[in-house]
Amino acid sequence: MSVLRRIATIMVKEIRDTSRDRRTLVVALLTAVAAGPIFLVLIFNLIASQADRARELKLPQIGLSNAPALMSYLVRNQVTLSDAPDDYEAKIRAGDLDVVLVVDANFAADVAAGRQGIVRIVSDRSRDRAQSSIRQAESLLRNYNRLWGGQRLLLRGIAPTVGDPLNVEDVDLATPQQSGAIILFLVAFYGLLASVMGGMAISLDTTAGERERQSLEPLLITPARPEELVIGKWLAVCLFNAIVVAITLSGFYLTLTFAPLPAVGIPFLFSAREYGRFLVILVPVILLIPAILLYVGARARTYKEAQTNVSMLMFVVSMVPAVQLFLQQKEPAWLVFVPISGQYMLLRQALRGEAISIPNLAASYVVPALLICLALFAFSRLLARESILAGK
Amino acid sequence: MIKVENLSKAFGKRREVRAVRDVSFVAPDGEITGLLGPNGAGKTTLLRMLATLVIPDAGSATVAGLDIGRDRYAVREQIGVLSDARGLYLRLTARENIRYYGALHGLTGADLDARVDALIATLGLRDLADRRAQGFSQGERMKVAIARALVHDPSTILLDEPTNGLDIMSVRALREQLRALRAAGRCLLFSSHVMQEVAALCDRIVILGEGRVIAQGTASDILSWTGAATLEDAFVTLLGTGEGLAP
Repeated sequence: MSVLRRIATIMVKEIRDTSRDRRTLVVALLTAVAAGPIFLVLIFNLIASQADRARELKLPQIGLSNAPALMSYLVRNQVTLSDAPDDYEAKIRAGDLDVVLVVDANFAADVAAGRQGIVRIVSDRSRDRAQSSIRQAESLLRNYNRLWGGQRLLLRGIAPTVGDPLNVEDVDLATPQQSGAIILFLVAFYGLLASVMGGMAISLDTTAGERERQSLEPLLITPARPEELVIGKWLAVCLFNAIVVAITLSGFYLTLTFAPLPAVGIPFLFSAREYGRFLVILVPVILLIPAILLYVGARARTYKEAQTNVSMLMFVVSMVPAVQLFLQQKEPAWLVFVPISGQYMLLRQALRGEAISIPNLAASYVVPALLICLALFAFSRLLARESILAGK
Repeated sequence: MIKVENLSKAFGKRREVRAVRDVSFVAPDGEITGLLGPNGAGKTTLLRMLATLVIPDAGSATVAGLDIGRDRYAVREQIGVLSDARGLYLRLTARENIRYYGALHGLTGADLDARVDALIATLGLRDLADRRAQGFSQGERMKVAIARALVHDPSTILLDEPTNGLDIMSVRALREQLRALRAAGRCLLFSSHVMQEVAALCDRIVILGEGRVIAQGTASDILSWTGAATLEDAFVTLLGTGEGLAP
C-alpha cells in the first residue's frame, strides 16, 4: 500500500509544482487553446474569400463606356463594375485592388477602322489572393474576344469553329476538396502535435530540471524506489498532457461548432463523437511521448541540454504526418502499427466519419505500449545508476 | 551507530580513480563524528555509500544495525541526509518541501502535520513556512534542507559539508541544532574540510586523505599522537604536506 501512496505523493507533488510554473503553463495552454482555432479561422476565411472572388468578380474599370458591347457582356456575366479610382496603380501595388480593366480611349475608333481595340488588364501577379480575379477577368475577355470574332466570321458565312479549332475545357476539381484535405490534415496534425508537446515542459523539468537544481540526490535517498519515482512522474506528465490535448480538441470543437465560420464545403465532421474518438485514438501518444521525454530528459544534466536533445525528437514526430500528407498514396495496412503514423491515419478516418475498426485501434496501441514499458524501464534504470549523481 | 569495515570504491573505466580505500571506523550514537579531509579525500563518496546511493566495491557497513547493501531501503528509513546537493523545489513553499519528504517517508495526516510544524518551530522557519522557496537566502534554504532531512526523525544523520556557503549566524544556528540532536541520542556523521568546524563540534574525528583513514580518535588523541599544538598542525603533519587543504 505504501508503494501506491508514494506514487500518489510523487504525482501530486509534480502536478502542484508544474501548476505553479506560470510561464510554462501559459505557453502550453495558450498554444493549446488558441493556436488551432486561430489557424482554423484563417484557413476558412482564405478558402471562403477565394471562393467568393471566384463567384463574383468585382472589376473597377476606366473607359469601358468606349466599348458598350463589352460592358453589357460583362454585366450579363455577373461582373460588378465600378469606376476605378485615379490612383488605381498604387492601390493595386498596395493590394487594395486585385485587378482593373482599362479600355483605350481610341477603342471605338480603332474598332470602327478595322484595327484591334486595346484593352488592358492591370494587376499585380505576385499576389496570390488576386490570382483568381485576374484569371477570371482574362478568361472573360478571352471568351468575349472569341464570341465577337465568331460573330464576325458568321456574318461572312464561315463557321466560328474554323477559326477556333481547339476547344479547351477547364475542369477544376481541386479547390473545394483540396482545401478540405488541408483542413483535415490540420485538425489531425494539431491533435497529434498537442499530445506530443503538451507534456514537454513538465517532463523535462521533472528530470533534467531536477538534476540541474540539485534536488534529485536528496530525492533518491528517500525510501521511494526508482520505479515509484518513474511511475509517479510519468502519471503526472500524462495527466498534464491529456489536459492539454482535451483543451486543444475543445478549441476545435467549439470553433467548428459555434464560431461564425464562412460556409465552405468541408468534407468532415467534428462533433462530440469525433471528439471522443480523437481522445481514444490519441491515448497511446498521450502516454507514450511523456515516457520517452522523461527518459531523454533524465539523460541530460541541464534543462537546456535536454531541450536540445528533445527538439530532434519533436522534429521527427511532427514531420511524420506532413510526409504522409504529401505522399498522397494509399497507406499500407501495416502503417497502423507505427506510432504517430498509425494515429494520424486513424484520426483522418475519424474525421471523414468512417468507422474505426476495433482491431485497427488495438493494433495502434501495441507498439506504443511496448515502447512505454521500455522507456519507463530505461528511465528507472537510469535513476538507479550512480552516474545520475554527477553534477553540472 | 554507523560501523564501516574496509569500505572501498573506485570510479572510472578501469577503476583508476580510487575514491575510497579500505576505510574503517565507528560512529557511535549520541556523538558527533567528524569526517575531516581535504577536497577529493573521498568524503562525499563515503557518505553516498552510507546513504546507499553508491554501491561499494568491497567492504561493508551497517547503519543502525542494517547492512547498506542488503537492507538498502531499510537504511534509507533510518538516515537523514543533508547531501552535497541540497536543491529545493523553488515553486513549492518551505512547508510543502518538507511535507513532500515526510510523505515519501510514509508519514501521513496528523503525524505529518505535527512533525512538520515541530521542525518549522525548532528551526525558526515560521515566517518562511508558507512562502515559496524561490526567494530564500542560502541560510534559509539550508534550514529547509535540514528540516527535510530530519522530517522522519532519523536515528542517524549524515551531513556533507553542511556549513558551505553559510554566514556565521547560520553556522551557529546549525551547530545548535546538531548539538540538540546529539543530546537526543542521535548518531551524527559530519563531513568538512574546515578544521575549526570539526574541532568546535565533533566528539570524534576521522581524518581522510586520498581515500584512506589517516587517523581517528578524539581531538586530544590526535594532538597527543602527532605532538602538534593545534588540530590544524596535526592535520598538516598527518597529510604530509599542506597541499590541497582549504584554509
